[in-house]
Amino acid sequence: MKFLAQDKLQAFLGHLAGESRVVAPVKGDDGVVLFRPWSPGTEVELDVLLPKQSAKEFVLRQSETYLRYGYAMEGEAAAQVDDSHEAKVVLDDPAERKAAQDTAVTAHAALVVEPVNDAPAQVIFGLRPCDARGFVQMDNVFGGYGGFYFDPYYNAKREATTLVAVTCRDPRSTCFCTSVQGGPASTEGADVLFTQVEGGFAVEALTDKGETLLASAEFVDAAQAQVLYAETVKETAEARVDAAFDLEGIQEHLRANIEDPGWHDLAMRCISCGTCTYVCPNCYCFNITDEMVEGRGERIRTWDNCFNPSYTLETSGHNPRDTKSNRFRNRFSHKFWYYPEKYDSLLCSGCGRCITHCPTRIDIREVLSVMGSERTAVPATTGEEA
Amino acid sequence: MVNTQTTPHGRLKQSPFLPDMAEIVRKERLNPTETLYVLRLTDGAELGHAPGQFVEVSVFGVGEAPFSISSSPTRGGEFELCIRRVGDVTTAMERLGIGAKLGVRGPLGRGFPLDVMRGNDVLIIAGGLGIVPLRSLIGTVIDERADFAEVTILYGCKSPAEMLFKDEIAAWEAREDIDFRVTTDIADPSWKGNVGPVTTLFRRLTVNPKTTVPVMVGPPVMFKHVVKQVLAVGIPEDRIILSLERRMKCGIGECGHCQINGVYVCQDGPVFTYAELKRLEEAML
Repeated sequence: MKFLAQDKLQAFLGHLAGESRVVAPVKGDDGVVLFRPWSPGTEVELDVLLPKQSAKEFVLRQSETYLRYGYAMEGEAAAQVDDSHEAKVVLDDPAERKAAQDTAVTAHAALVVEPVNDAPAQVIFGLRPCDARGFVQMDNVFGGYGGFYFDPYYNAKREATTLVAVTCRDPRSTCFCTSVQGGPASTEGADVLFTQVEGGFAVEALTDKGETLLASAEFVDAAQAQVLYAETVKETAEARVDAAFDLEGIQEHLRANIEDPGWHDLAMRCISCGTCTYVCPNCYCFNITDEMVEGRGERIRTWDNCFNPSYTLETSGHNPRDTKSNRFRNRFSHKFWYYPEKYDSLLCSGCGRCITHCPTRIDIREVLSVMGSERTAVPATTGEEA
Repeated sequence: MVNTQTTPHGRLKQSPFLPDMAEIVRKERLNPTETLYVLRLTDGAELGHAPGQFVEVSVFGVGEAPFSISSSPTRGGEFELCIRRVGDVTTAMERLGIGAKLGVRGPLGRGFPLDVMRGNDVLIIAGGLGIVPLRSLIGTVIDERADFAEVTILYGCKSPAEMLFKDEIAAWEAREDIDFRVTTDIADPSWKGNVGPVTTLFRRLTVNPKTTVPVMVGPPVMFKHVVKQVLAVGIPEDRIILSLERRMKCGIGECGHCQINGVYVCQDGPVFTYAELKRLEEAML
């Protein structure tokens, strides 16, 4: 184990910043702590336990352009446009008619499509173990496990990223990492773990990537007392996270309770805003859209939200998940039943941001305590026949 | 269940989000809302699909949308999509002329289990636009007719005007080796055929439950009734084949839109057995 003195932190980050982008929790002028690109001299905010957003954004971008395209008009291109079509006639709105013509014209010009995949080397410093675990859980989907495809955008950034986690000394009342197989000093997904001790940090490398970082001259070998202190910090923190619900049998209970009216009751006050999905370090759903301005276009993928009724709405009008309580049920069941069944991993690392930020105070711990356990109110019709 | 998913070609595996380029070779208006597009990949490669698979089609600047492939792979180089004008991408496509370029990603997903059907009686049941993906299967069955025993096709539409592929249907009807039956929910004065839902056609059939593989594509309400009928004659759940429609974005098992429980319809499907779907809440809704 190594030791980094508190007053050497800036120098260490400065070294890193010379070679790659450094991202760290930084308090903005508005007082909000977020993961932001760090520059020398900026104070790293470790007193606020969790930045408002997870660090997900730096690997699975909230909005990411992966194709750029443009049209170069050639010769008689416009003449080839199919105007035999009666669809044009119904366009009474001049703006719509113009858009239709633009589409038709550009379709005949030479199309140039350019793939984009920006993945600069980066170190994310100061994320908590729950946020680091979030990446491990998303890796299943984007890494092509389950027989699907390897995602070029997520993985390029993931590989170019080093995660430096910091043990939570002072867990919040909304933290429940220990209920989802994690903990305030969990090392899963992290390359380096920092633990705050007197005068600085006890530091351990967890991967080869992490080892490389600790080669920096600012680190000295930790004294035995510092190693012991770090262990005490971890144990104390661990003891301070309350048990929230029981994972044992949760898949079976969620399956058994799928038609339970309890879902409807719990979903009543949900306003489908999707905040829980955006602040979640594990929610990975995305949408794909095209945007075009004056002949130059981009294909963009953007975080999506399964609470939105249009999330499953087909163009035909058919919507297989057409009630709020079914959408509500989907999010929790996905994290604790569907996903674990497929990938043998939970899709929740217990950060509690969804609890903190929910405008109607929906608490995932309550939802899982109720719906993830045996329901006592058995409908009368299931009777005694068995 | 036998996985009939074809291996994605190298480029798709490498960069699953980058479309190949295709051009519109021919367009044919089938009725007021449906158009048949004949496409060809511009690099001359074959699409290499299996019946029941789909492609994601890009109109650059408008967006990308999934469409089932309507032509049989046995028919060679070009491939066909039959598309109802209903959303942004489909409306933009209608305005494109011959030679216009589109992006195509695919073929994607798991197709119909031809190996399960070979040597057996094939009962194809199409409701409305369900005929579009099933036409790919019908083409294969016709071109490899000797591989299959009895072939029956039931096709139900809302009205005679909505009936697609009328010329081909006439040819199917004329064949001695296919039992083709069609019905419409609402007749018009010119209609001389059967009136009623597709279940009324099934009722008059004699099927051998030991050798029949029913393959159905249609709206959820059709599944509900037809599945009940085929189960009632004793066809086992794992031999009842259905193809599901879902909202899809990425088509490669990531984005989440088509997910039902732990299943991604875009990759685990869109073709499933009833045995697979029965356990999935929300699948048959």
